[in-house]
Amino acid sequence: MKPFRIFITFLLVLFTFISFVPEAWAFCGFYVAKADSKLYNKASQVVLARDGDRTVLTMANDYQGAVKDFALVVPVPVVLQKDQVHVGDPKIIERLDAFSAPRLVEYFDENPCDGEAPGNREAGATRGGWEPPSFSASDEKTLGVTVEAKFTVGEYDILILSAKESDGLQTWLQRNGYKIPQGANQLLQPYIRQKMKFFVAKINLKEFEKTGSQFLRPLMMAYESPKFMLPIRLGMINSTSEQDLIVYLLSPKGQAEITNYRMVNIPSDTEIPVFVKNDFGNFYKSMFQTSYVKEDKKVAFLEYAWDMQSCDPCSAEPLNSEELRKAGVFWVERNSPNNVFITRMHIRYSRDKFPEDLMFQETSSRKSFQGRYIMHHAFTGEANCQAAQEYKRSLPKRFEQEAQNLAKLTGWNIGDIRKKLPVVASGDSSPWWRKIWP
Amino acid sequence: MLGEARDYQILFLSLFLVLGIGTRDWTLRPSMIIVAIATCLVTQWAATSFWPIFQQNIRNFFAKPESCSYPQDATKPITPLQPSYRSALITSLGLSLLLRVDNYTTMMIAGMLAILSKFVFQVERKHFFNPANFGIISVLVLTKDAWVSPGQWGEDWWYGLLFAGTGGLVLKRVGRWDTTAAFLGSYALLEAIRNVYLGWTWDVYWHRLMSGSLLLFALFMITDPRSIPNARTGRLIWAAGIAILTFILRNYFFVSTAVFWALFAIAPLSVLADFIWSAPKFSWVKATKSAENNISQPELSPN
Repeated sequence: MKPFRIFITFLLVLFTFISFVPEAWAFCGFYVAKADSKLYNKASQVVLARDGDRTVLTMANDYQGAVKDFALVVPVPVVLQKDQVHVGDPKIIERLDAFSAPRLVEYFDENPCDGEAPGNREAGATRGGWEPPSFSASDEKTLGVTVEAKFTVGEYDILILSAKESDGLQTWLQRNGYKIPQGANQLLQPYIRQKMKFFVAKINLKEFEKTGSQFLRPLMMAYESPKFMLPIRLGMINSTSEQDLIVYLLSPKGQAEITNYRMVNIPSDTEIPVFVKNDFGNFYKSMFQTSYVKEDKKVAFLEYAWDMQSCDPCSAEPLNSEELRKAGVFWVERNSPNNVFITRMHIRYSRDKFPEDLMFQETSSRKSFQGRYIMHHAFTGEANCQAAQEYKRSLPKRFEQEAQNLAKLTGWNIGDIRKKLPVVASGDSSPWWRKIWP
Repeated sequence: MLGEARDYQILFLSLFLVLGIGTRDWTLRPSMIIVAIATCLVTQWAATSFWPIFQQNIRNFFAKPESCSYPQDATKPITPLQPSYRSALITSLGLSLLLRVDNYTTMMIAGMLAILSKFVFQVERKHFFNPANFGIISVLVLTKDAWVSPGQWGEDWWYGLLFAGTGGLVLKRVGRWDTTAAFLGSYALLEAIRNVYLGWTWDVYWHRLMSGSLLLFALFMITDPRSIPNARTGRLIWAAGIAILTFILRNYFFVSTAVFWALFAIAPLSVLADFIWSAPKFSWVKATKSAENNISQPELSPN
C-alpha cells in the first residue's frame, strides 16, 4: 500500500503546483487593429453553420483568373436541388472575418504619482452568355456519369453529378468544357466509392454581367448529412505548396473542434512593444508562421471562439440576426436573441502534412478564446515623486521583456527589435556615488 | 519498488496527464482531474462499505421464509469487501484523459456511475462493463455538456511509441496483450481494406491509425482484465468484435467516439464469452504474485 500512497501524494502535489487559467477577462483594453484574412494572398474562406445534421456551407470565392475559365468541383454528401443552393452576400464573410480576427489592444499607463497601479482601466470597446455545352446521353452512359440535377443560381450554372468511376467522370468534365487538372481522377475515386455526389459550378456569363460586379459571390448550399467534413484533398491536386484556409464554424451548441488533427490555440494575451501598432499585419503573419513551423505544420489553429452575442474588445460589431441568417444560421429567428457560438479555425495545409480531409465535431464547450495582443504605452507626462522614480526604473526591464516576447513569437531579430524600443529618459538625478553605497 | 501491475498503470496514466497538460496545450483542467479522482475514490469507498449490506437487504426482501429454496442466502453473514482504491484511481485517470466536460457535476456523475457500474453490472462477482467507458458513455447520453476529443493527441510518432512501450509493459505484467493485438490488428486490417477499396494513398491510412486516442483506448481501456473474457479464444473474438463495430460506426455512421460506443455495446457479451469458453477468472493479486513468485491466490472482489 505504501507505493500507492506515494502516488496519491505525488499527484496531489503536482496538481496544486499547476496554475489555474483565469476564466474571464476583467478588462480587455482599447481595440487598435485586427489581423484579418486579407493578410494572406490566397486564403480560402468557408462558413459551416451546423445544428444536428443540418448544415449550411458557404464558400467564399476568391477566384482571380478569367471568369469564363472558372470551374468548381466539390464533393457533397447528398444530391442538392435548386432551392438548396443560394448565392450569398460577400459582405457577410467580411463581417464574420472582421468580428473574429485576432486583435491588437492597447493600454495607457496612469501617472505613477496618482497612486494607481499602471494599466488598470475599464475596457474601451469600440462599440453570362455561357450556354452549358450540350452532351449526349450516350456519353453519360459510357462514362458512367449521371446528371442528378441541373440548374442556374445567380451567376452560376450548376450540375450535381454522380459517377460510377473516376476516369469516366474526369473525361466527362473535360469533354463538357470544365478545366480539370490531369491526375484528378485518382482523387475523385475515393469520393465516388463513398457514394458522394459532385457539385460542379461554372459561370453563366449572361447572368454574371447582370450582377454588374467584378467579383464572384459566395456559393451557399444547405443539406442534411451526418458527415461534418470539408474536402481539402481535391484542392491539392498537382500542388505541394501550403494553402491557407479559414473556417468559421457556427453552432448553437458550443465550440466546434477538428477530430482528425490536433487543434492548437494561437499564442495569445502576450505583451508586445508599442511599435508593433504600425505593423500589426506583419507581426501576425510572422507569428502565425513561427507557430505553424513550431507545431511541425500539422495542426489546425484556433483563432477565435466566442458566443456571438458579445465581444470584448470588439474588432467589429456583433452580427445581428439578419446578418447571421445571411451567413447561413438557419436556427436564429429574425429579431430574436442569437444563440450562436463561433469557432474560427485557421488551417495552413499542404499535401504531405494534411493527407486526410478535415473532419469536425460540435462540442458543448462554451469556453471563450481570442487571439489578443497587448501594448502598454508608458506614461510620458511630468511626474515628480518617489513612485515615478520607481516607475521609470522599472520601464527598461519591461520593454526588454516585451522585446523578448516579440522575438519569441515572431522569430524576428532581437537586436532589430531593441533598436525600435522607446528610450527611457533617466529621471534619476541623485549623485552617482549613492548607487555604490546605498 | 512498485507493488503490482496496476501501480504501473497508475504511473503511466499520470505521466500522460502531466504530458498532456505540459505539452499539448489541452483543455485539461487540473481542478477537473482532482474532482474525477476524488469522486471515484469516495464512490469506491462508499460502494464497498454499503453494497454488501444493500445486497443482503435485497436478498432478505425477496426471500420467502416458507419456501426452502435457498434459506442460507438470506441468513448468510455479510462478507465485507476490500475497497480497491487502485482500480478507482485508474478509472478516474482514464476519465480525466479521455472525457471533456464543461461542469464539475458532469465529471462527478461520470465518476460515480463508472464506479457503481462495477457493483451493479456483475455476473459471478465479475463486472462486465469497463468502468471508465461506462462513465463516459453515461454522461454522453445523460448530460448535454460532455464530449470526447479524438484529435487531442495528434499523431506524433513518439507519442505512439511511448503509449505502445508503456502499454506493452503493463500488458506483459498483466498478461492480456492478446486483447490489444486482436483489437488493433482487426481494426488496422479493416481500415487497410477500406483504404485500398476507396483508393486513398497510404498516408491517409497511417494518419487514420496513428491517433493517440485510439492507442490509449487499445492499450489502457480495452485491456482491463477484470471486464474482459477470461479465456484467450473468447478474448480474441470479443476484441475483434469491438474492432468491427468501431469500424462500422466510424466509417458508416460518422461517429467520432466510435471506439467507446463499440466497447460499451460489446462489453456485456464477455459474460457470454465466459460461458462458452470457460477459463479461470482473472485476479490482480494472482497476476502480481505470479509475475513475481509464480504463486497463485484467488481474490474475491468486484474491483
